[in-house]
Amino acid sequence: MPFGRSQKELGLKNVGVLHRAFLKVASLIVHATVIAAFCLSSSSAQSVFTVSQPNGLDCILQNSPTSLKYLIETMPGGVALLDYNNDGLLDIFLVNGGRVTAPMAQPDDFDRRNPKYWNRLYRQNRDGTFTDVTEQAGLSKIADSNYGMGVAIGDYDNDGYPDIYVTNYGKNVLYHNNGNGTFTDVTEKAGVAAGGWSASAGFVDYDNDGKLDLFVTRYLDWDTAHSKSCGGEIRMYCPPGEFPPVSNILYHNRGDGTFEDVSVSSGIAAKKGHALGVAFADYDGDGFTDIFVANDVVEQFLFHNNGNGTFTEKGLDAGVALNDDGKKISGMGVVFQDYDNDGLPDIIVTELPHQLHIVFHNDGHGVFSDQSTEAGFGLLSGATSGWGVGLEDFDNDGWKDIFITQSHVIDNVETFDSSLRYLEPPLLAINKHGHFERADAGSDTPVAARGAAFGDLNNDGWMDVVTTRLGAPSQVFMNRGGKQRWLVLALRGTRSNRDGYGARVRVNGQTRFATAAGSYLSSNDKRLHFGLGMAETANVEILWPSGIHQTLNAVHCDQFLEVKEPEHP
Amino acid sequence: MTRALLLLWLLPSAVSAQSNDASEAAQHVQAGIAAEEAHQYETAVAEFRKASDLQPADATGFARLGRAYMEQHEYGQAVVALQRALQQDPELEIAHRLSGYAYLAQGYALDAIPHLEKVHELRALGIAQIQTGQVAEAVVNLQAEVKKTPNDPDLLYYLSQASEMLAQQTRTSLLGSFPESERTHQVQGQNFYALHKLSAAETEYQQALAVRPDLPGLHLELGQVYAEGAQWLKADEQYRAEVALQPGSGEAAYRLGDALLHEGKAEKALQELQRSDRLRPDMSETLYSLGKAYFAVGDAKAAETAWARVIAIERESPLAAQAHFSLAGLYRKRGNADKATSEMQEFHKLQERSSSSGPH
Repeated sequence: MPFGRSQKELGLKNVGVLHRAFLKVASLIVHATVIAAFCLSSSSAQSVFTVSQPNGLDCILQNSPTSLKYLIETMPGGVALLDYNNDGLLDIFLVNGGRVTAPMAQPDDFDRRNPKYWNRLYRQNRDGTFTDVTEQAGLSKIADSNYGMGVAIGDYDNDGYPDIYVTNYGKNVLYHNNGNGTFTDVTEKAGVAAGGWSASAGFVDYDNDGKLDLFVTRYLDWDTAHSKSCGGEIRMYCPPGEFPPVSNILYHNRGDGTFEDVSVSSGIAAKKGHALGVAFADYDGDGFTDIFVANDVVEQFLFHNNGNGTFTEKGLDAGVALNDDGKKISGMGVVFQDYDNDGLPDIIVTELPHQLHIVFHNDGHGVFSDQSTEAGFGLLSGATSGWGVGLEDFDNDGWKDIFITQSHVIDNVETFDSSLRYLEPPLLAINKHGHFERADAGSDTPVAARGAAFGDLNNDGWMDVVTTRLGAPSQVFMNRGGKQRWLVLALRGTRSNRDGYGARVRVNGQTRFATAAGSYLSSNDKRLHFGLGMAETANVEILWPSGIHQTLNAVHCDQFLEVKEPEHP
Repeated sequence: MTRALLLLWLLPSAVSAQSNDASEAAQHVQAGIAAEEAHQYETAVAEFRKASDLQPADATGFARLGRAYMEQHEYGQAVVALQRALQQDPELEIAHRLSGYAYLAQGYALDAIPHLEKVHELRALGIAQIQTGQVAEAVVNLQAEVKKTPNDPDLLYYLSQASEMLAQQTRTSLLGSFPESERTHQVQGQNFYALHKLSAAETEYQQALAVRPDLPGLHLELGQVYAEGAQWLKADEQYRAEVALQPGSGEAAYRLGDALLHEGKAEKALQELQRSDRLRPDMSETLYSLGKAYFAVGDAKAAETAWARVIAIERESPLAAQAHFSLAGLYRKRGNADKATSEMQEFHKLQERSSSSGPH
C-alpha cells in the first residue's frame, strides 16, 4: 500500500472503510452521541462515567471466601469485552470462581456444574441490555476441579470469530468460536490446558508468522491441600512469598488448531516468579512484540523478543524489575501503552499500599525509568491497592487517561492495619500532557474490585469500562461522552494475524499497540480508540506485524473504521 | 565477794581460751578460704560458721560466711550472717555490698537500697530502684555506670528500661495533670502514630494545634502522620507550616522536600532539599532524596555527586544499596552500560549481604 492516499481512494480499493456491522449500529451511535452531548451541556463538572448495572448483567462473582483463607478466594476474576457474534456490539464474558469449602475435600470440587458458579457470556442487545447466552453458547460445562481466574480473547485460527481462553486454578480451557453463536472446548486438541494456578493470559503473535500464540502467566506453586495459615490467631491470606515461584508458559500456534509448549526452548521458563499480569508491546522498535510480566513481590520480568523464537529477560537491565529505590514491588495488573505521546510504549503496573502504582517511562534505546511521581502517581496511590488497569483516552482529548480498580487483597486488613481499607473506590485520573490528575470516576462507593476491561460498549466513540467485584455483580462505567472528536480503528490483518495484534498504530501523534491483553485477568475491546480533541481529521500510520507500513491521510473523525492490511507491501 | 573471787579465778583461763579460739578460728578461716577456692562452698560455709562461732565478734568472719552462702545461692542465710557482721561493724563496706546484692537477689529491692547506697554500688542500686519505681534515680545511677562501662549489654538494657519507665511515668503525669493541654494531645498523637492508628493520631495533633498552633514540632509530626498515609498534599501543608515556624530546621526542610518529590514537584523539592543539606550537612537520607530531585530536573551530574556522597557515608547500608541502584539507572540512561553494570553489581552485593544478615 503506497503511503499518502486519500481515505476515499482507500475506501474504493482494498480498505473496508465502514464495516457492515458498524453501519448497523450507526443509528445507535447517533443516539448515544446526542445523549452524551446533552449530558455534557447539562453539567460540565459531571463525572466522566455513570455507573450502572445494565439489565441482564446480574451474575455474581462467586469467590466463596472461607475461614481458612485459601488464597485463590481473593484473586478472581476476569472480564472480557468481545464481539463474539460479529454483530458490531461488544458482548461481555465473565469468569466465575467456584464453591470453596473449609476445608477443601480432595480432590478439589468447586461445584462448577452448579449454574451459580458458571462463567457467563452476556450478549449485548441493541437496546443496551444484556442476555445471558452462556448455556446456548456451550460455555456452561466446566470441570469441577477448575476455580476460575482470567480470560484472554483472540482469533487464534484467523476465521474471523474471537475465541476465548479461560485461565483457572486447575486446567485452563480454550473455547473455539464456531461462528454460529456457539463455542467448542478444544483444549485437549489444542494442548493448552497448562495446570497449576494460572492468572492473566494473552494472545500474541511473537514470531510474526500471522498466527496468534498464547502466553499464560502463573501465580504460585500452590494447591488447596498445601495451603498455609498466616496471621496467627486471626487468619489472613498469606503473602505470595510463602509459596514457591513458578514459571510462565508460552504456547506457539502451529496453525493447525494445535499449540506447542515452547516455554523452555523460548527461554520463558528460565525465570520463575509470582506472575499476575501480562501485557505486550514492541518496546525497542525491532519489529517483534516483547512481553512484560507483572510479578507479585519479586522482580518484574521484561522478556525481550530476540526475533528468533527466543526471549531474554531484561527487567533489571531495562530498569523495570524494581522501583526507583531498588525495591521489589507487588505487581498486579499492567498496561503497556504510550502515556506521554512520545511514540514509545510505557509500562504502568498496579500495586499494593505503601508502594506507588508504578510508571516505567520508556526512555528509548531499550531503557526505562521510574517516573511514577513525575507522572503524578505520588498523589494517586500509596494507600490503595490496584488490580485492573487501562490507559484509555476517556475524554477524547488526545491523551490517554488511566482507570484502576482498587481493593486490598486481604479482606480483614483493617484488623491488622487500621490505616488501610479492604473496600476501595476505583481510581480515575485524567492525563494532562503526561501528568495524571485525579478525576471523578462516577462512583466513590468502596468495593472489592478486581478485573477491568475497556471498550466502547455503546459505540458512541467514548470508552467505557466493565469491572468485576468479589461477591457482587459487575459494574459498568458508561462514559457520558462530550464534544471532542474520536476515531476507532478495527484492524483486519491479512498477512499478519487477523486481529492485527502487535501492530503499532499512530494517529495524530498518538500511538497504540494493538492488543486485547493487559489489565488484570481481563481482555479489552480489540478495536483501537483514539481521542482527537477538536481535530476533524486524522492521519493514520500502521506498522503491521508483517512489517507492512500503511498510511491513511485525512481520515474523517467520529467513525469506526475497519482497516484491512494490504496484501502486498 | 564470792562473785569477785570467782571472776578473778576465771579471768586467766578465759584469756587463755580466747587465744586458743582465735588460733582455731584462724585455722577454720584458712580452711574455708581454701574450700572457696576449690568451689567447695558447702565446706566453706561449714568452716566459716565454725570460725564465727569461735569468734562471734568478728564482723569480717560473718561477712565471709555470708559470701559463702551467696555462692551457694542461699541468700536468706547470707542475709542473716551479713546482719551479724553489720551488728559488729556497722561500717563494714563488704557486708553492705553483699547485703544489697543478697536482698536484691531475693526481690527485696527496698531492703537492698540502703546498703547499696551506703557503698555507692550504682549498678545494683539502679536496678533496685527500677523495681521500687524510683525510675528517675535509677536513670541517673545507671547512666553514671554506663559512662564507666559503656559496652555492657545488661547495663544498657536496664538503662533503657528505666528510661522508658521514666518517660511513661512523665507522660502519665502529664496526661493526668493536664488532660487538655497541647502536650497531652501531642503525646497521645505520638502514641497513636506508633500504633499506626493514623486517624486517631491526626485528631490528637489537630487538637494540639488548636491550642498551640505555634508549638514547634507539632506540624512536623502531623505531617508525618499524613505522609504515612500517603496524603502528600496534607503532609506538604503541615511541613510548610513547620518550615515557617522553624526556618532553621534541616529536618523540616527535608520532610517538605520529600513531600514535594512525592507530589512530582521536583524543582521545588530540590530547593528544600538543598536548604536542608546546607542546614544539616551530610545526612544520607537528605542526600539520597537530593539525588532524586537533581535527576528529576535533569541535572544528572549533581545527582551522581549526591548519590556518591550517600555511598561514601553509608558504605554498606541498605541506603547505600539504593544509591548504587539509582546510579545504575543514571548511567543506563546516559548509555554507559559498563558503569551501570558495575553499580548493579554493587547493588546486588549489598542486597545479598543485607538479606543474609537479616532475620530468617
